[in-house]
Amino acid sequence: MGFVDKLREAFGRPPAKEVAKKRLQLILRYDRAGLPPNAVEAVKEAILKALEDFPFIDTKGVNIHIPEGDSEQGKIEIEVPVKNK
Amino acid sequence: MADKVICVTSGKGGVGKSTVTANVATALAMKGYKVVAIDADIGLRNLDLVLGLENRIVYDIVHVIEGVVPPEKALVRDKRTKNLYLLPAAQTKDKSAVKPEDLVNIVEDLRDKFDFIFIDSPAGIEEGFKTAVTPADTIIVVANPEMASIRDADRVVGLCDVMQKPEPKLVINRIDPKKVARGDMLDVDDVLQVLSLDLLGVVPEDKNMVSYINRGEPAVLFEDSIAGRELRNIADRLLGKEIPIPKLTYSEGFLEKLKRLFGSE
Ligand SMILES: Nc1ncnc2c1ncn2[C@@H]1O[C@H](COP(=O)(O)OP(=O)(O)OP(=O)(O)O)[C@@H](O)[C@H]1O
Ligand SMILES: [Mg+2]
Repeated sequence: MGFVDKLREAFGRPPAKEVAKKRLQLILRYDRAGLPPNAVEAVKEAILKALEDFPFIDTKGVNIHIPEGDSEQGKIEIEVPVKNK
Repeated sequence: MADKVICVTSGKGGVGKSTVTANVATALAMKGYKVVAIDADIGLRNLDLVLGLENRIVYDIVHVIEGVVPPEKALVRDKRTKNLYLLPAAQTKDKSAVKPEDLVNIVEDLRDKFDFIFIDSPAGIEEGFKTAVTPADTIIVVANPEMASIRDADRVVGLCDVMQKPEPKLVINRIDPKKVARGDMLDVDDVLQVLSLDLLGVVPEDKNMVSYINRGEPAVLFEDSIAGRELRNIADRLLGKEIPIPKLTYSEGFLEKLKRLFGSE
């Protein structure tokens, strides 16, 4: 590591171990669900496209995620909010 | 005893399975328990080297399976550590030479004659891994505090679950207090947050490990080995003793901090 990198690390860059932990937590959520790493993004894109035709759906509020916790394993959760009238 | 047949596995290679097996087996034998360590890494025999028993091998596990000798006849007795025996892997055969039921039969044959039966698993998650895990009632997963090792350990935990085995216990090996203090390396709590397993031990990086292995003398034989001390603690925890995991201690001095910033380290 050069001097500039070290300085940057000393002032404010998150320590390597924090980055590692965050990455691992994410990777393992996909591994445990048996999903490829782009699964959520890909599904979200397809769903948003399909929902375009329905004006009563609040597409900004669509939430797609892999739920945490053992009992929740084996699914992708999709929340589709309806616009308030 | 519930923890009688213990498989040491990891997914990723080279993280310390054979080191943990040899040392914990030795530590238990030193306490007077009768212990056998089975090298299930067929084709890549290694455990004999860590134990310093390589030139005493006559028969191996494949001879036992082929019916050339009964299991007891193939065991190599450790002259230095009373009560310790090794069932060597075959060096010339491949992993398919030992099927899960073969290992189950061998373990059943030895069960009544020993207090502990250790199985040193090969790396990977294929046939050889499954064979090694099948007879076990306790599974130890060894992981280094590194991304790939932890990811592989999680895979192994998932596969053990599918095989309806009890949840593995975790040994974190090669943790380096200096790198942890700098924030470069995952610490024990980080690893536990990611893996959430029962922690059986934390073995520090020990610069003398190479020489222990070169001499064929397990670290637990040395009172002053930092890894040896924690490996002995693992043996005690397997016996049910409640020994707290020691806190890693390292605090970087001001000068060291400066040196790190400006120096080449
Ligand atoms: N705590 C430690 N400190 C320093 N070096 C270590 C430590 N534990 C293991 N090693 C070193 O790591 C290397 C690999 O260890 P070992 O052979 O036990 O791993 P393994 O998981 O059995 O490997 P394989 O997957 O090839 O069977 C060895 O050279 C050993 O000396
Ligand atoms: Mg090995």
